[in-house]
Amino acid sequence: MDYSAEVERRFDSPAGAGNVSGDGSGIGVGEAEDRVLNVWVRFEVQVDGDTIREARFRAYGCPHTIAAASWTAEALRGAPVSALERLDVEGLQRALNVPKEKLGKLLRIEDAVHACWEQLSGGATGRRVED
Amino acid sequence: MSARRRPIYLDHAATTPVDPAVAAEMMRCLGPDGVFANPSSSHAMGRAAARVVERARRVVAARIGADPAGIVFVSGATEANNLAIKGVIAAAPAGRRHLVTTRIEHKSVLDTAAAVEREGVAVTYVGCDSAGLVAPEEIERAIRPETALVSVMRVNNETGMIQPTAAIAEVCRERGVPLHVDAVQAVGRLPLDVRRDGFALCSVSAHKVGGPKGIGALWIRGDVAVAPLVHGGEQQRGLRPGTLPTHQIAGMGKAFELADPAEEGPRLAALRARLWSGLERIDGVRMNGDPQLAAPHILNVAFPGVDGEALRFALREIAVSAGSACMSDNPEASHVLSAMGLTDAAATASIRFSFGRTTTADEIDETAARIREEVERLRRLALGAPSWCSAWRSLRATDGPVFG
Repeated sequence: MDYSAEVERRFDSPAGAGNVSGDGSGIGVGEAEDRVLNVWVRFEVQVDGDTIREARFRAYGCPHTIAAASWTAEALRGAPVSALERLDVEGLQRALNVPKEKLGKLLRIEDAVHACWEQLSGGATGRRVED
Repeated sequence: MSARRRPIYLDHAATTPVDPAVAAEMMRCLGPDGVFANPSSSHAMGRAAARVVERARRVVAARIGADPAGIVFVSGATEANNLAIKGVIAAAPAGRRHLVTTRIEHKSVLDTAAAVEREGVAVTYVGCDSAGLVAPEEIERAIRPETALVSVMRVNNETGMIQPTAAIAEVCRERGVPLHVDAVQAVGRLPLDVRRDGFALCSVSAHKVGGPKGIGALWIRGDVAVAPLVHGGEQQRGLRPGTLPTHQIAGMGKAFELADPAEEGPRLAALRARLWSGLERIDGVRMNGDPQLAAPHILNVAFPGVDGEALRFALREIAVSAGSACMSDNPEASHVLSAMGLTDAAATASIRFSFGRTTTADEIDETAARIREEVERLRRLALGAPSWCSAWRSLRATDGPVFG
């Protein structure tokens, strides 16, 4: 398996890993998992008005998954809240040079981010599970 | 975080660096002032080369307890295994079209078995127990009147488990079936005596013990009929024609001369124990196999709670294998660990460490420390993950929770 320099950098130093701090107001949490793909991701975002002030992740999975979650957390920080509605998976794939066979793992990241949006938009569970 | 650190080579079951003494021996056979002539030539220079070949043949034979006349040099263990299986079946009496082997063999045996199966040979694949051992009774049950050959490895290349080949040979002798043993991982790590143990054929390779790649040997007992795979000359009794590569054979001879298990075995076992001692502090870690029944140079460990690919990438400066090196580009679970009953998740999060002549205690300590650090880091990244990530409910189908 080949890994791009960006994947290597983000896997070694996964910026954005952890949890957001705060009292819970304006915080959206989204998770997604897929046992077959051996991937779980969780995002926590803190919004202030229409802006995502902070985004953090936790992840279990391959180097591409961890790097992609890190890239996504950084991309979300400072972005409009509407960015949660639909993640640019193709842009993410290009940025990290993720092989096509791992696209499914990126889709789980998109699911988790979208679950944050759903929760912030009105009390959805914030959790997507693929078995 | 894994900053660039010194590389550590713990993949000696995949291949080993050429020993300087071996390289020197090979160089003697290459240059214009060396023993470069064709060993089949009748002139003085050719006879000198033939003497080098015959000396190496004696050394290789002595290391495995064989007669030199039975040694056939080939390109490596893959060819040796092909020659043994295809050659014996092709030479077997009409009606003997059945092969017995095991599910935990090296791919060079399994793929050869699949190839003969496609040509109409029936193949029985015997399983192993949860420790990775093949039972002689299972081999006995698998043998039929039409069985032409049984093929079982001496030491498993992924777990290091030593198979009961002498007992299997006894079963085979009673049933009148020749036993082929792939002993690639045993040379230099365990004493080998193919005649005492009753083998009929035995595959060995040079590059696993400080020799060059591209050379190996198949020992064939005098009463066993084998048909050649290639044709084109009378070298090596026509069983493996072609100009003998003197330098490769000389290198293999020197490597086998140096590969003394009495000297190296205890040192390798101590290194393995040292690494396990450093790893068993990791919560939930499991050894695949049984060190009391394993060759001293291999340790296979499962690391619950981390993704196997992530852990291997985190340890990329440490040369280790997920299963066998021949499978390392394959993300599928190891067929050996699966045969032992491990789940796919447990098998893919398992790492094979293998030690050799150049391995030091310092490298072992550094490896253990780096693995502990990376496992902790990856588990921290996955904090809050559901139980299936951090607690394998079934490392094996019959096991309970093992971590978390």
